[in-house]
Amino acid sequence: MKFKPYLGLLALPLAISTAYAADIPDGPTITISGFGTAALTRASTDDAEFARVAQLGGVKTSAGTGVDSNFGIQATAKMNDWLSFTAQGLVRKHVTDEFGGELAWAFAKFKVTDNLNIRVGRMGLPVYMISDYLNVGYASTYLRPPVEMYSQVNLENVDGVDAIYQSSFGESTLTTQIAAGQSETKGNGNSYTAKFKSIAGLNMVLENGPFTVRFGHIYTKFSVDDSAPLNAIVGGLNQFGFTSQANSVKIHDNKATFTSLGLTVDWKNILVQTEYGKRKSESVTLPDTSSWYTMFGYRFGKFTPYFTHGSVKQDSPRTVAGLPTAGPLAGLTAGANAFASLAPIQTSNSIGVRWDFNKSADLKIQFDRLSPENGSGTFVNAKPTFQGPVNVVAAAIDFVF
Amino acid sequence: MKAISPRIFLALSLTFTLTATALPALADVVIVVNPKNPVANMTPEQVAQYFLGKSTTFTPVDQPENSPIRAEFYKKVADKEPSQVKAIWSKLVFTGKGTLPKEYGSSAEVKKAVASDLNAIGYIEKSSVDATVKVIAN
Repeated sequence: MKFKPYLGLLALPLAISTAYAADIPDGPTITISGFGTAALTRASTDDAEFARVAQLGGVKTSAGTGVDSNFGIQATAKMNDWLSFTAQGLVRKHVTDEFGGELAWAFAKFKVTDNLNIRVGRMGLPVYMISDYLNVGYASTYLRPPVEMYSQVNLENVDGVDAIYQSSFGESTLTTQIAAGQSETKGNGNSYTAKFKSIAGLNMVLENGPFTVRFGHIYTKFSVDDSAPLNAIVGGLNQFGFTSQANSVKIHDNKATFTSLGLTVDWKNILVQTEYGKRKSESVTLPDTSSWYTMFGYRFGKFTPYFTHGSVKQDSPRTVAGLPTAGPLAGLTAGANAFASLAPIQTSNSIGVRWDFNKSADLKIQFDRLSPENGSGTFVNAKPTFQGPVNVVAAAIDFVF
Repeated sequence: MKAISPRIFLALSLTFTLTATALPALADVVIVVNPKNPVANMTPEQVAQYFLGKSTTFTPVDQPENSPIRAEFYKKVADKEPSQVKAIWSKLVFTGKGTLPKEYGSSAEVKKAVASDLNAIGYIEKSSVDATVKVIAN
């Protein structure tokens, strides 16, 4: 895709000074809003590139804008009291090494009662506690969602239907969301397509004063049928009679789940945000993982310094059992084991500060120290000699309009 | 991490605290609904639910973004700074889960909007109250 609207879109917020709302008598109310992050990121190594999940390339010792910058624009047309349409476009560096545009969301929302909304179309899939605003830098304290946690599921939207029900008990609010549909994602460099069919999701958020507790569970059956390297290994295993190993490595109609529990506290000047998540799948090529992070922040007026610790580890074996480790088939075994050890193992510590210098923009500076183990962690394009820990520094301006 | 020594960090933190405490003079703000609305009174937490997107039972009506009364209102009902309120809404708006409260240019316009909508809830200066609206919280 040669679509490069990034620079043109960046000029838009200057043209639209505040949220623009047009009222046509007896017609729809149209609201345009947007968000974005302009960032520079650099790492302390040239042996691997620091990237977010599903980015083809990242940054090394020379600073780049690609890791942490994005721009989103959203239009909502409210037709009447019960019907509205929303579409959101997002520009960022994702599976290719160029900034590219995506239709993130496009749905119709029906207000059935004051407490129940039904949406149909393409919506955000509530995988994580922060899925709703994963790409909206301004909505978060930290500069970048912890890469350990948010590398586990690279599935952001679903084509289907969801229902959102809000109920109140005294001063507590419970929001329950149920989603169903299907989706697909591209592998790095469009090298393959992961097809997720029969996605079902449950998202429950309980809010009481400064506390928010969130539980989520996602179920899907997924297939990757067009990956050349994966098909080569599966074909080789079958050819030499390792049928059960071939079946465990391939990804075809395999069940996968992701379950997570999160908590946020926003009490006086104290901010705490923590999430624990567990990925399970039937295919060894999508290894089982568990991950968590905790962020502490303290608000000093317009300045919020924060500290974050993140961790991800693989729960399933990083080798495929029952294959020869020596002899002529050792290469095939190494190939199968490479798929079985695809999950990153990594911890990181980050400190940063958010400065709310403007009513709808902030400036953030963040230092990370990331320690990959037993491989390259969340880093991409690593040389065989690559070793952590790696320091990363980034500065970003987030804005909303 | 050697990037910032604890002493410098503490000094910076203190500076931030000292510069962040100046407050503008406050006017009395009251919460108003349509006179036909059966609700007689509300706690600040209940009022905050509508203005922070947690409930859509009533339709919130907001004052201009930079007005002192708006900053005072959010401080009073939710103990939040304008930037915190903005961050909360930015979590809701970009999912289509919520839409920002509609803004009106003055207390007179807020009053007019509340007087014409049975479901509306707004806030104005105490001195602007008249028979077209009903006060449900001080």
